[in-house]
Amino acid sequence: MTAIADIDVAAAPRSARGATLDRAFEILCFSAATFLLTALGGIVISLVIGGWPAIAKFGPAFLISAEWDPVQEVYGAAGAVTGTLITAALALAFAVPLSFAIAIFLVELCPPILRRPIGTAVELLAGIPSIVYGMWGLFVFAPWFAQHIQVPIMMSAKPGSLLATLTSGIPNGSGIFTASVILAIMVLPFIAATMRELLNTIPPTVRESAYGLGSTTFEVIRKVSLPYVRTGAIGAVMLGLGRALGETMAVTFVIGNSHGFPTSLFAPGSTIASTIANEFTEATGALHVSSLILLGLVLFIITFAVLAMARLLIGRQANL
Amino acid sequence: MNAQLESPPETAVLEIAPETVKLAIKDLNFFYGAKQSLFDVTVSFAANAVTALIGPSGCGKSTLLRTLNRMYSLYPGQKATGQVLLDGEDILNPRVNVAALRARIGMVFQKPTPFPMSIYDNVAYGVRLYESLSRQDMANRVEESLRRAALWDEVKDKLRESGLSLSGGQQQRLCVARGIAVKPEVLLLDEPASALDPISTARLEETISDLKSEYTVVIVTHNMGQAARLSDHTGFMYLGQLVEFGETEQLFTSPVTSRARDYITGRFG
Repeated sequence: MTAIADIDVAAAPRSARGATLDRAFEILCFSAATFLLTALGGIVISLVIGGWPAIAKFGPAFLISAEWDPVQEVYGAAGAVTGTLITAALALAFAVPLSFAIAIFLVELCPPILRRPIGTAVELLAGIPSIVYGMWGLFVFAPWFAQHIQVPIMMSAKPGSLLATLTSGIPNGSGIFTASVILAIMVLPFIAATMRELLNTIPPTVRESAYGLGSTTFEVIRKVSLPYVRTGAIGAVMLGLGRALGETMAVTFVIGNSHGFPTSLFAPGSTIASTIANEFTEATGALHVSSLILLGLVLFIITFAVLAMARLLIGRQANL
Repeated sequence: MNAQLESPPETAVLEIAPETVKLAIKDLNFFYGAKQSLFDVTVSFAANAVTALIGPSGCGKSTLLRTLNRMYSLYPGQKATGQVLLDGEDILNPRVNVAALRARIGMVFQKPTPFPMSIYDNVAYGVRLYESLSRQDMANRVEESLRRAALWDEVKDKLRESGLSLSGGQQQRLCVARGIAVKPEVLLLDEPASALDPISTARLEETISDLKSEYTVVIVTHNMGQAARLSDHTGFMYLGQLVEFGETEQLFTSPVTSRARDYITGRFG
């Protein structure tokens, strides 16, 4: 009896204090999560309110029209949306194979002595501010690209052929294609670093089992390693896509900033982010500002849709 | 009086009849970087027999297994010297095609390692690498392998489901099925039952006993009962040396060396 009483007495203060602390901890965490939701909701609401005049004026035509004319006060998002989607898709098309190859090289093939330098280089690439990419793109890459790639291709393309159509424009180096290349360089380290981490999570014995059946390195990577990290790889690519969609400064430098649908790969264009960055300070009319805010909402929705799609894909893969 | 003075030998390795030898290991030394973990191992493993390797953790038995299919050459810094002759051909020779070699020497690991694909594809994986079978032949090969691994009845209705959906014991038998589907000549088993429950272990042991009619089996195990039940020959390793190798019954009932005797009678390890 006494023993039981002793335990109760001894335990009471500790458990009481523990329970209070635990409760406080729960409230703290809950508040943090609530804050996030509130901030998200607040941003959406303010975008809708800010964009309302434009919604009221143009309605669904805002998404279909590519006309963007501050003088006539006519605004349509289709050009910027197209530019955003094309540059992001092209950037991924360049970056995904490259970054997968880099990650595979680092994990499976790289001599140990090179592993650190290359790994660090990939991480440094991720650390360069986007404005630096933009300047480099405009002053170094674009002129080089115009001289050594754009002009030769345009010269060799047969007039009227698909290639000629795709590459028409003024060969000054800035345009949709250049923006995509810069974007690719920018998202590459994110995808490569994530892929490297993913590949490192594969248990060594799983790889060894595949080798043990007589697989070559390529067969192990293609049939065992990559399927093993499939879910995470989709996530990595979507992370890169999200970044490519929203990237502003570097794209603004090199895309050429012309409104309307881009006419070819080498033609100047605009993305949602570059349009907003270019015009926000100069927007005078209320409708202009409102249209820019509405553009922001459209970008938000596109990005959200991409993330949601990634979730869906990952969910489906996880059930496999 | 005389018997007390005569000390038991340090090592005792039985030489098996040359015509039955499948794998002959000669003066094998193994290095993880600068650290040597096998010392002058010389021993032969018989064809169509089960050879067990026992010994305390870190004694080099898994390392020995990993040299037999050149698994170590995946890792720069690990190297082996000496000879490992498979049917007389030295597999440590750098010019040996390791992928082709590993197709002849299968391996099953301590933990199950199913690939992220269906049960059927797991078994068919290795076969597809080296043979192009018709759909029917492949289906037969998969069924035969799963039957031999005592897994067929449990999975025959869900061959298209992921190999990862099976229980641990089933996964391990799936890995055995995958290993024998390619019809290797030698099967290396690295503590294949250590992560399994007793029922799965019993089934796996039955499978292994069945396999020796066609394969040369080398099994590393911590479980001495398992070694005694399954194997024809047993090798006892300690600190990177092969201390004693002989007929399983002889080694377990009357070990020649004092270290093997101490280990088997439970005085250490």
